[in-house]
Amino acid sequence: MNRQARKAALRFLFTPIVDRLGYKFTPVEEDADFLLEQEAELEAQTGIPYCPCQARTKDRAENMKIVCPCIPFHRAHYDAMRRCWCGLFVHKDVTDPDKLKQIPESKIGK
Amino acid sequence: MKKVTLYALSTCLWCKKTKKYFEEKGIPFEAVDYDKQDEDHQEKMMEEMRAAGCSGSFPFVKIGSACTQGYDPVEFENLLNAK
Repeated sequence: MNRQARKAALRFLFTPIVDRLGYKFTPVEEDADFLLEQEAELEAQTGIPYCPCQARTKDRAENMKIVCPCIPFHRAHYDAMRRCWCGLFVHKDVTDPDKLKQIPESKIGK
Repeated sequence: MKKVTLYALSTCLWCKKTKKYFEEKGIPFEAVDYDKQDEDHQEKMMEEMRAAGCSGSFPFVKIGSACTQGYDPVEFENLLNAK
């Protein structure tokens, strides 16, 4: 499968999952395309579409928490930001993702 | 001027935006791509991030003796201007 087809497939696979979680793809199409491109590349390298903005380590259990869509593993954090860490997904009611900030998990609720 | 170091991932959109922010401000910085380092160096970087109370999310930005996580121009300004 070529890269464009895989990106389309990832979008098709993720859409109903994140919909049930109250999220949608970012409406900033340029960002979504870049992030899906990175995930497709990571998947080609590792077999798994990891989050492109979080680091893998030797700890497999921890790595599983950053497999896209990783929202269920970071629910409180992402709900507070109204987006996931990499910004591929935003809350369904978000119309301007540029107004949302990346907030470190350590600062949530402070 | 405070020393600025950026820990990044080559795949990270917000790391790219952070690099662009410092470039456009004309602020010199050192960027280290975590995913381009060997395992030993990756472990050291991760230890440093966790010691600062951060997770393995990028970008991680050190400004002087302070640090922050995520793309946040307001926080970058605050740390650059803090005495």
